[in-house]
Amino acid sequence: MVTFRSTDASGRTTGLLFRCVLYALLALGLIIVDKRYDHLGRIRRLLSVVAYPVQVAVSSPFEGWNWFRDSVTTRDALRADKTKLEAELRVAQFRLQRYEALEAEAQRLRALRDNTAAVTDRFIVGDVMSVDLDAFRERVLVDKGAGDGIYVGQAVLDSGGVFGQVARVGQMTSEVILVSDAAHAIPVQINRNGLRTIAVGTGETNRLKLPYLPTSADVLAGDLLVTSGLGGVFPAGYPVGTIAEVKRDPAQSLADVDVKPAAALDRSKELLFVWLKPQAAEVLPPPKPAPVPKK
Amino acid sequence: MMREGRIRRLPVALSSLVALALAVLPLPAVLDAFRPDFLVLVVFYWCIASPRAGGLSLAFFSGLALDVINGVVLGQHALALTLMGAWATHLRLRIRVFSVLSQCLTIFALLTGYQFVLFWVDGATGNPVTTFGRWLAPFIGALLWPLLGNILSKAHER
Repeated sequence: MVTFRSTDASGRTTGLLFRCVLYALLALGLIIVDKRYDHLGRIRRLLSVVAYPVQVAVSSPFEGWNWFRDSVTTRDALRADKTKLEAELRVAQFRLQRYEALEAEAQRLRALRDNTAAVTDRFIVGDVMSVDLDAFRERVLVDKGAGDGIYVGQAVLDSGGVFGQVARVGQMTSEVILVSDAAHAIPVQINRNGLRTIAVGTGETNRLKLPYLPTSADVLAGDLLVTSGLGGVFPAGYPVGTIAEVKRDPAQSLADVDVKPAAALDRSKELLFVWLKPQAAEVLPPPKPAPVPKK
Repeated sequence: MMREGRIRRLPVALSSLVALALAVLPLPAVLDAFRPDFLVLVVFYWCIASPRAGGLSLAFFSGLALDVINGVVLGQHALALTLMGAWATHLRLRIRVFSVLSQCLTIFALLTGYQFVLFWVDGATGNPVTTFGRWLAPFIGALLWPLLGNILSKAHER
């Protein structure tokens, strides 16, 4: 039984209805202004500064525990890590050897076509804060904000591939919407044949889908999806995911295609915020149809 | 007997801050959907136990804090919490003499109303969340009420 202090029993609340209507109208006004107009950006940024201490207070014990765990790892674990990293570095360096030559070749080819798209982009690294946002949306909070030059709509990558884009910016933090959020869609193309389509989030962390491909489309399980650069938000050519499963129902006109994201959406702690050069939005030209022989 | 005029706001502020921190505490993804609305329960408690200590201002600004921290449209939680806080304040004299079961049921109704306003604003602003998971929070919140209410009334009396 929850007991209440008797002294407050007679505490009258005058004008309850009046204050309720007042605050409700205020809240409704906020919703409308926030939804319809963009004037609240500064207010929200200010409020996010107030919320920052709470977020840091919640986040810091977890960061502290991680730090503690890192600092008491055994020598063996460190050695194992080192061996693994060295092996990875060898593979990466092997791949990088060809990168220089390929970039030069790409520049040469683009010069031929009078098109100067840059391959490299400017980026900064942000850390995901240990703070949970809305349980039913795929979003994370990152410790870089407007103070670091982050802007709404900026592309976010992790070491595996495309992670998401910036949905909202505070002074010191920003909110990133993951590619797997049900409200997120990203223009992609299949690396094998250049087929362009749109990958839509499902609300499940490890699944995207391609809802707009006809059953006859040339798409196979295991195909790599990369960003097409259309839409101008994401730089072209970054991996988005691999096709996990293609279900073709002859009764339907569209295929049911599941994609496994390339980025570690539920595990990544470090994210890259990319500055997209305006002319970098470029796609592969569609293959030319074979000339029809004339009679 | 204590004087009416003396209202201690420290427990109100402290309990609200702790509840706000609990609202963003990282949980495993499986448990995340089962997270009760701690701050909402705390606001309901103060609305029922001592409407003049916090009242609707507490409800409105707690809601605004939830909006900012959850990153949703500004005013959504504020609206829901204001409306349901006012209802809780209106019912407070009855709720105080209810049995535990009736109290839990009333809190369940209030929490469901709260979720409904959130659901409605989500839909009206064009990003609806239609999973059934969101209707779990009122159940868990109502089950948690006897425990949370007792802790808060201990804090209130000291």
